[in-house]
Amino acid sequence: MELCQLSDLQDGEARGFCVPGFLHKVIVVRRHGQAFAYLDACPHYTGGTPMAWKKDAYLNGEGTHLACHSHGALFDIETGRCVLGPCLGQSLQDVPVHVTKHGGIEIAALASSEEEA
Amino acid sequence: MNIIGPDYLVFGVDDIAACTEYLTAFGLKAVDVSDKGGLFEALDGTGIIVRRKDDPGLPAPLPTATMLRQQVYGVRDASDIAAIEAELGKDRKVHRLADGSIETTDDLGFALKFQVTKRRKLEMPAEKINAPGAPAQRKPNELGVWQDMPAKPRTLSHTVLFVPDLDRIAKFYCERLGFVITDVLKGSGPFLRPKACDDHHALFFIGTPEYMKGIEHLAFHMGGPTEFMLAGSRLVKAGYESFWGPGRHIFGSNWFWYFNSPLGTHFEYDADMDKHDGNWVAREAPAGPETAQVFLFQHRDKWFPSG
Repeated sequence: MELCQLSDLQDGEARGFCVPGFLHKVIVVRRHGQAFAYLDACPHYTGGTPMAWKKDAYLNGEGTHLACHSHGALFDIETGRCVLGPCLGQSLQDVPVHVTKHGGIEIAALASSEEEA
Repeated sequence: MNIIGPDYLVFGVDDIAACTEYLTAFGLKAVDVSDKGGLFEALDGTGIIVRRKDDPGLPAPLPTATMLRQQVYGVRDASDIAAIEAELGKDRKVHRLADGSIETTDDLGFALKFQVTKRRKLEMPAEKINAPGAPAQRKPNELGVWQDMPAKPRTLSHTVLFVPDLDRIAKFYCERLGFVITDVLKGSGPFLRPKACDDHHALFFIGTPEYMKGIEHLAFHMGGPTEFMLAGSRLVKAGYESFWGPGRHIFGSNWFWYFNSPLGTHFEYDADMDKHDGNWVAREAPAGPETAQVFLFQHRDKWFPSG
């Protein structure tokens, strides 16, 4: 399933998508021309909680990290690993995506959905 | 020591523009706010102060993700400041500022300030309700709600902190500053009210590892359940992210609705909290979903079952 075009996102911009079959939104963030995607589910609390402070506002103010705006946790954009905050050492759940030859960001394998629980 | 409650909470942030947008949408009024930050106040003048995180005027940050830089408590008069200065001066540095306020830190390193309160006296009615068997609170033809009814935070209510040593911090606030424990959620921590405050809690602690030390949430009191629901619904409709609520807590009886924020903490609307006095005996309950709320709802877009 295609979420958007890579060119729809500025470098360093993130956006959240509701994807059929997923309980949480999927965050797509563009960095250095690549697309990374994670579940919008901060690992601090069981089950994960939404991370934006407003629709699509997933980055910290400086735009250097994905942030959970519950308690300010910061996550490495390229690995999803928490580098500061209540879930230190834990990671966001990665959602495999690839860029198609037409420049679309596509979820690689819906079958890998975590969301069946 | 007549501590009334929090006058201001001070944050060091990385995006003043985002915080200005958020705090204004939350219903606070910007006072002398520039690109360096400023005060966002509730109707009684209590509120949130934001500054850039590298502002040299701020107390040092904690080595965690928290953006909280200082809690400013309001007291009744100058004699209360002197009493706090004398007590805390016994074992820590207390810095007196030109305006008569004092700054220091608590036993776990949270920066504190005490000032003669700057809150304004509010004279506003509580939400009025009509119920069979009781005198009507609203006059004939007086409406209970309308779509654009004002719903502004009235006053800064309470602060909740993640702390690595519950016993030590509770002892500090109770024995050194005269706070009283009103209830305890075992597994989370104690609710406290300062002596000159009759709200169920102005402060609550949650025990956590050291690396989580910081602010968990802060709350503002609304004028009643209807204003509370209106304000929260408006935030959701504008695209802000709900975290928990709306619901009603058991300890404190307050309605709650928590939202994420660009200040790295939850902002809560609350309404209709219990009042207590010295006759109250603290309760204890194990922390968990059943003890945290009597009911919980989730927001849904407006709809209409026509036909």
